[in-house]
Amino acid sequence: MLKKRLVPKLLIRHRQIGRLTRPVLVTTRQYREIIEVGDPVSQAKIYEAQMADELIVLNINGTTIQEDDALLELIERLASETFMPLAIGGGVRTVDDFALLLERGADKVTINTAALESPELIEAAASRFGAQCVVVSIDYRHLQGLGPMVLKNRAEETTGRHAVEWALEAVSRGAGELVVVDADRDGTGQGLDIETIGEISSRVSVPVVASGGCGLSSHFADGFLKGGAEAVSAGTFFAFRDQNPLQTRSQVRNAGVHIRTVT
Amino acid sequence: MVTVGIVDYRAGNIRSIENALDHLGVRFVAATSPDQFGKLTHIILPGVGAFGYCAQKLQASGMQEALEDWALVQGKPMLGICVGMQLLADVGLEMGEQAGLGWIGGEVTRITTDDPSVRVPHVGWNEVVFDLPFGEIAAGTAADFYFDHSYAFHNPHRGETIATCVHGVPFVAIARRGNLIAAQFHPEKSQTAGLRFLQNFLDLKG
Repeated sequence: MLKKRLVPKLLIRHRQIGRLTRPVLVTTRQYREIIEVGDPVSQAKIYEAQMADELIVLNINGTTIQEDDALLELIERLASETFMPLAIGGGVRTVDDFALLLERGADKVTINTAALESPELIEAAASRFGAQCVVVSIDYRHLQGLGPMVLKNRAEETTGRHAVEWALEAVSRGAGELVVVDADRDGTGQGLDIETIGEISSRVSVPVVASGGCGLSSHFADGFLKGGAEAVSAGTFFAFRDQNPLQTRSQVRNAGVHIRTVT
Repeated sequence: MVTVGIVDYRAGNIRSIENALDHLGVRFVAATSPDQFGKLTHIILPGVGAFGYCAQKLQASGMQEALEDWALVQGKPMLGICVGMQLLADVGLEMGEQAGLGWIGGEVTRITTDDPSVRVPHVGWNEVVFDLPFGEIAAGTAADFYFDHSYAFHNPHRGETIATCVHGVPFVAIARRGNLIAAQFHPEKSQTAGLRFLQNFLDLKG
């Protein structure tokens, strides 16, 4: 039986040190309040040792990925120093960007704003690389009277689209996986938005990755058991505390979730 | 001395395989022409993308005949991974019916099930049960490997099924015809179990 997945999320922002551009692992709260954590490769290796099932790496520099050499080098290093699946995103605009990232060592590519602005990118990428390679990430915020409404550009702009409706369209266009993030819960530790995750996962046939708000191991278990998520992703939760994927895994397992325990 | 050629036909994620071989301390080259095959002991055929796209790219690469000679005439070790496995079937049903190489027979069809909890694509770690031994890996044992696919391999009538996996329905995880090995999962992404599997392939003698 397929195991549920714990997926640490690495947010990457560049720091300029003299003429050198260095990618740094950061965390955010509600997509703002950026806090630097440290070296992304070291952190990825720690996560691998702690049996993370996969990593999501997101470029939050606002750069176009094709022109971001520092980020592409980072992906190469992540791919050569760890042996787990990598989903890479942030600044992906074209089918060529997919090809470039896969060449550098990505296994899957996540798109967000570009998919909203040119939804045909989903079809184009899926027919070239297969649906399993195309991950559509959906950021949203609950608006009074409207429900979960989709955001773009790192949650800075509204789109007027309902999250569930966009999720259905993305899947019908060929997305092989959805990452669903409540922007207001990001970094708060108050728990996942089980209602929206549950609604989306009950209406699509592809795996749903729930993210935004994990502060306790029970929040992960809720994502799986109540939200129907195939994977739960967290950034802040794993970055600062004594909590790590290994401990979380055993707690999630004890809650009755079918999850990997030995390699 | 083991030297692995990773078939580079512009339709595979060869870097991850290079990284895994590097970690195992094995010499490898990206193979773009049959002229290179003489120096090799093992060949890996990766594959990312739609079945028809990969089949077309392999044909266009100019390496297909030499690979057939390598695997079926000379019987030297070759490993197909993911779509690189699926291409070895008689037929693939992704985006219409497409002819495969047919080297191990069988067909590649979309994973379909009535159970809404069984999601497609099949993404993540799933248990692979070895019905037959593979190198040091004993029959009757099981390990988790990483999968990422929507279509699955069935009924390899010219080869034998070494291991199976279940996602709603059972499918072939590893098939074998002599030294020709085919794996649906990504050993290069499957941490310890994956590296062990690759080592067992590298231990095959041509």
